[in-house]
Amino acid sequence: MSAEITSSPFILLFRGTDWDRGLSAEEIQQTMSRWSDWFDRLTSEGKAKLGQPLTNDGKIVSGKKGFAVVDGPFTESKEAVAGYILLRVADLDAATELAKECPGLDFGMSVEIRPISEELGRGPD
Amino acid sequence: MSTPPTSTGYMLLFKGTLWDRELSPEELQQVMTRWMNWLDRLTQEGKVRSAHPLANQGKIITWKKGAPTDGPFAESKEAIGGYFLLQVSGEEEALEIAKECPALKYGVAVEVRPIVDQCASMERAYMEHAIGSSE
Repeated sequence: MSAEITSSPFILLFRGTDWDRGLSAEEIQQTMSRWSDWFDRLTSEGKAKLGQPLTNDGKIVSGKKGFAVVDGPFTESKEAVAGYILLRVADLDAATELAKECPGLDFGMSVEIRPISEELGRGPD
Repeated sequence: MSTPPTSTGYMLLFKGTLWDRELSPEELQQVMTRWMNWLDRLTQEGKVRSAHPLANQGKIITWKKGAPTDGPFAESKEAIGGYFLLQVSGEEEALEIAKECPALKYGVAVEVRPIVDQCASMERAYMEHAIGSSE
């Protein structure tokens, strides 16, 4: 358990794997550099605990009667999750304000902010 | 830039927040007990870096009319109800673990996604740069 009793855990899910279409390599690099700076700042402020991009590969397992494993259509999708950040901040409003700084937003990405139920679960610290 | 041949970090996203509506309290309790036993075992095996259910609340932020705008999160068959961050030997093991999910037979789907150090867009930028400079 964390000593910070006044903060709560949240996950930011970055949605949209096609935000970079139509952008030049330089524009992508600029955006990614802003993204790294943003994440570094959140980490140094003690707000970001863990965060990683996901590849556009992957599979979906489902099936009420036996397993169906299909290749996920994760490219060219506005809904697909492209990465995540685990946050610890005061409340949902604080998490929402912080998510509005996401550099991918003005290229069509969206950010989902969800409170984490901490009592059931593990990690990251 | 080269990408690693196989990823060993995987994110499992559990999709569906309405699967438990038809279950009796006893059935739901059974599934949750199996789920916690499953997570305990994976944790003891050193495969779990982080794992949590998500509350059925939250916000979605999108860009509208030149500014970020927030709206409420909505429950659905596609909405994410929880996640596992796993450290495993590769995709095969990640898929085997996904198939053990106790809520699969109630309609939950498990998205199995490799984690990388560098995002796909950045890889593409490097690739294009490399291709552009080799011409």
